[in-house]
Amino acid sequence: MIFKKLALAGAMALLSSAAYADCAFENTVPVKSISAGFEAWKAVTDAMAECGNVEAELDQEFRKKQPAAFAANPSLYQIGGVANGTLVPLLNEGTIRPLDDLVAAHGQNLTPNQLIKIDGEVMAVAMMVNTQHLMYRDDILSDLGIAVPTTYDEVLAAAAKIKEAGVVEYPLGGTFKTGWNLGEEFVNMYFGFADSMFADDSMPTINNENGVAALEMLKKLTEYMDPEYLVSDSTYVQQQFQQGKIAIANLWASRAGAMNDESESQVVGKVKMASAPAAKAGGRPASTIWWDGVVIAKNITDEEAEAAFKVAMEGLDEEMVTANNDIAVWLIPGYVPGDLAKGAADTAINGAVSYPASSQMGLMHTALGNGVADFLTGAKDAQTTLADIEAEYITAAKEAGLIQ
Amino acid sequence: MSAAKTMRQPFGLQLSANAFLAIWCLIAAFPLFWIMVMSFKVPVDAFASNPLEVVFGPETRAAGKGLSILDIVVGIAALFYIARLAVNWLPGMVARFSPGGQIWAGWIIGALAFGIAVVVFLFGLLPPVLGAVNGVLGPLGQPIIGLTTEHYSAVWVENAFYRNFLNSMLVTTGVVVISLTVGTLAGYGLARSGSDLAFWLLIIALIFRALPHSVLVAGYLPVFINSAEFLRPILGDAAPTLYGQPYAVIAVLVSINQPFTIWMLRSFFQNIPTELDEAARVDGCTHFQAFRWVIMPVMWPGVITTGLFSFLLAYNDLLVTSLLLDAQNQTMVPAIAGYFNRETTTTDQVEAVAAAVSIIAPLFLLVMVFQRQIVSGLTAGAVKG
Amino acid sequence: MKFKTFAAFVGPSVFLMLLFIAAPLISVFVQGFYLTQPIYETVEVETCTPGFPTQTCVTETKTQPVIGEDGKIITETKYVGLESYRNLLEPDRALTALGNWDWGSLLTIDFWKALRFTLTFTLVTLPLVIGLGLAIAVVVNNTARLIRGPVIFVSLLPFIITPVIGALSIRWLFIGDGIMTAFLEWWLQRDIAMFAQGWTIELLMMFYRVWHVAPFAFVVFYAGLQTVNQDTLESAVIDGASRWERLRYVVIPHLMPLIIFIALIHLMDTYRAFEEIVGFSSQAYRISLQWLTYDLLVPDDSGNRAISRASASAMLTMIGIVILLVPLLRRTWRDHRGGSH
Repeated sequence: MIFKKLALAGAMALLSSAAYADCAFENTVPVKSISAGFEAWKAVTDAMAECGNVEAELDQEFRKKQPAAFAANPSLYQIGGVANGTLVPLLNEGTIRPLDDLVAAHGQNLTPNQLIKIDGEVMAVAMMVNTQHLMYRDDILSDLGIAVPTTYDEVLAAAAKIKEAGVVEYPLGGTFKTGWNLGEEFVNMYFGFADSMFADDSMPTINNENGVAALEMLKKLTEYMDPEYLVSDSTYVQQQFQQGKIAIANLWASRAGAMNDESESQVVGKVKMASAPAAKAGGRPASTIWWDGVVIAKNITDEEAEAAFKVAMEGLDEEMVTANNDIAVWLIPGYVPGDLAKGAADTAINGAVSYPASSQMGLMHTALGNGVADFLTGAKDAQTTLADIEAEYITAAKEAGLIQ
Repeated sequence: MSAAKTMRQPFGLQLSANAFLAIWCLIAAFPLFWIMVMSFKVPVDAFASNPLEVVFGPETRAAGKGLSILDIVVGIAALFYIARLAVNWLPGMVARFSPGGQIWAGWIIGALAFGIAVVVFLFGLLPPVLGAVNGVLGPLGQPIIGLTTEHYSAVWVENAFYRNFLNSMLVTTGVVVISLTVGTLAGYGLARSGSDLAFWLLIIALIFRALPHSVLVAGYLPVFINSAEFLRPILGDAAPTLYGQPYAVIAVLVSINQPFTIWMLRSFFQNIPTELDEAARVDGCTHFQAFRWVIMPVMWPGVITTGLFSFLLAYNDLLVTSLLLDAQNQTMVPAIAGYFNRETTTTDQVEAVAAAVSIIAPLFLLVMVFQRQIVSGLTAGAVKG
Repeated sequence: MKFKTFAAFVGPSVFLMLLFIAAPLISVFVQGFYLTQPIYETVEVETCTPGFPTQTCVTETKTQPVIGEDGKIITETKYVGLESYRNLLEPDRALTALGNWDWGSLLTIDFWKALRFTLTFTLVTLPLVIGLGLAIAVVVNNTARLIRGPVIFVSLLPFIITPVIGALSIRWLFIGDGIMTAFLEWWLQRDIAMFAQGWTIELLMMFYRVWHVAPFAFVVFYAGLQTVNQDTLESAVIDGASRWERLRYVVIPHLMPLIIFIALIHLMDTYRAFEEIVGFSSQAYRISLQWLTYDLLVPDDSGNRAISRASASAMLTMIGIVILLVPLLRRTWRDHRGGSH
């Protein structure tokens, strides 16, 4: 019985993929891809698979595997899914190929905005952007007569009011989980105050009034959060929103759709999106913009590269976007930005910086992710925390050879 | 007689002993019981903070999925008879149909077949029949406890978890078989050689046992990915890329597990009197023949116990499999870890819970079947070293 | 047994261990003393990334590795001696902190923080595991035969299930408004957040470890109890020994080798605690030595990994475990001497 069911399901899957197989061409060259495993990648790789002979790997460990797999000769994968940060090791090691000729031949549907150019050469094709921006409970804010906050001071004022009114358990939510998430929160806040984290010789420059201001702002925010904020990742914050436990959070754009998912959310239609708040009045939004896109390996034959690129273009076509409009802020033509995309768009328009990925930034992000918690828990004061983070960064950077 | 009487416990002690056991069993089983309950509810219920809501699942019930009184009565009766069958009928059948002497093989096949039959019966046959009857019964047929198997079907059918299951089976079978083959040989050699070399081998193995695995595993990754390049000068074009290959992972898991395996098997061999192999040697057997034809036949309890530990290690491994296998060959445990790390929704999480329960269900069966083996195997002297 | 026969028997096993354990270990050991770095050059690079409504391009100086003719990064490896160990241990800071009896600032250094937790974790759970395992074994052994089977079955569950799943199942009971936290809040009439401070997480992690390992201790002890000499016990009864005295003077000495066995296994496994840190996401408050090594080894977004420091940390972990095991190893050595000569 169960086997019958399974067989049936398998047959259905085959049938449905046959029915959907509206790829413009039939791919005969075996193509493999490796990428992160979130919804948008699932949609894109499913669309790529329609062309046949495509094996997509949505791997949680892709950060560890991708650079090594692309460095192998021949490369174990033809297509890679990257973001600002994960592009860096591939660029550094020179394991991805420039795409200008392929874009010229097969990229007629791409917009110029999608082409990631390094020194004039197209190295990657972006498909979506993601950023942390303000999500708020419209009903609570309008009940209490609070205007949508545009700076973090206003966020704090709003939080105080909400707390006083006692409508939700905790006014604020935040992706403060130690490690990458917390590092990202600091980076966001810091770029709300300052322009750069490094001097020209790769030495760190975060131990200054901007760094202290960023840390202190983060700490003030945590006072209005669930005390378990150091283990709360985006899924947790999303659940807090869905269960009506928080009113305001700076959350990833890719999470916006979940607020209106009726099977999970108790606050359907009540959460609205806005630009990320500025760290100081008149400043730019304290958030960084990320993009996700595809790259093609260098250590493969030109024939494979062409097939891989064509397949990737099928994955990034209008049809895919129309079918999956709301799961991401797509850069692909055919995308209709809904209400949910407003936050991400406003954040970008208000001038948030693109996440400045580099080898140094990678090290700094790790040092921040592990170090900032000590200030939030009260184990160290702001100066010591920043000095320790800088010291940790310098040790790592010396080890990597970035600082002599 | 009088001694036996004094051995008997006073009532107070008995009572507190039983209370202690009851509390322990509750603590031991509750977390697992709870994730099982969660896996049958819709997300809102599964993560509710009121335990009663999790158990009765009002949202799940409101969605029209649940068990009526009839379902529960029939279900409990069915479970009772299944348990009876497993205890009374299965051992006999296994004994009857097992290939001569290899009763453990019979148990594995028997337990698998029995498990599949139970799943088919409980989830395939029963629901439609009861559904029809419930429709006729009216109020008695109304669901009173929310319960849905949608997450299981999502996991097993939509996400093709059966592929991970098959991969897990492949890896664990490989690990158990090779681990035991290599391990029994080494264990026997170590037990029968009193030399200092043997002793130092054991001590080094012990230190290897204590190594943090992440150090080793992270070292494998670049080598495995580039193995085709490394091996090309030796093997020519047939040089394989080890990354992603189940057999490479089997080799790694076997090696990591060797220290424990040889220690354990060595103690078993030590408990087998040396007179036995000496007699065989006098009859003209070589060491190997004595090992194969005289010692192995009396070693089965030890082999089964050690095999179980190898099985657990391979089946439960996360670190090695998640790094060294690609998606096509992924086993179950890293596959479930994937549910948590990706941009999860609450539904994903409940599906992950369902997947987790699916992973531990075979382990339940395993303990049920081999429980006696574990205890008697250990009693037979696994741990005297 | 002749050496040749012995070699034939242990050969395959030794080969596997050499290839997959010893070789990586030696390479890790050596890497701890060397530093491999790419050669960098500084270049002016214009990077264009998506923006609204059009692309944003920035020109900045970037440090990037030089790529050689074979298409790989040119690296240089230099001997740095104990530099990586120093970076990890930060001896100056540690000594200053120790000199001032400033425990808190010593524990702000990752390695010492990890060592502190790992040691506490190992040494606190050890007696708990042995005690609980022994208690269950004795009670089960004295209980009615009828319920022994089911009790053993239930007791084994925490041990056999996948560690990650076990840790998560306990985490779910306590995180946020998990039902156990809700229960405690109702019982103690106060707000509780189990994951908001270090010591509660540490308690949970210890609870998980004891829950997970005690069953193993239990079956081993239970198996041992089956072989207790009944005559000795009965003569003890006749001599008027109380229940407690029988346990203390007959049963426990009989189980002593097993207790040492369990202690050995437990020390080794707990000293490399890792799943707990991941399962309970305790990185902000508590880290273990293996987690520290792992964290140094995992590449960040930009592909950097601190291999030398990770090697140093792995080696220090190894040394620590060997020190912990020395008493037990000496006993094995004496047995070996006594047994074979």
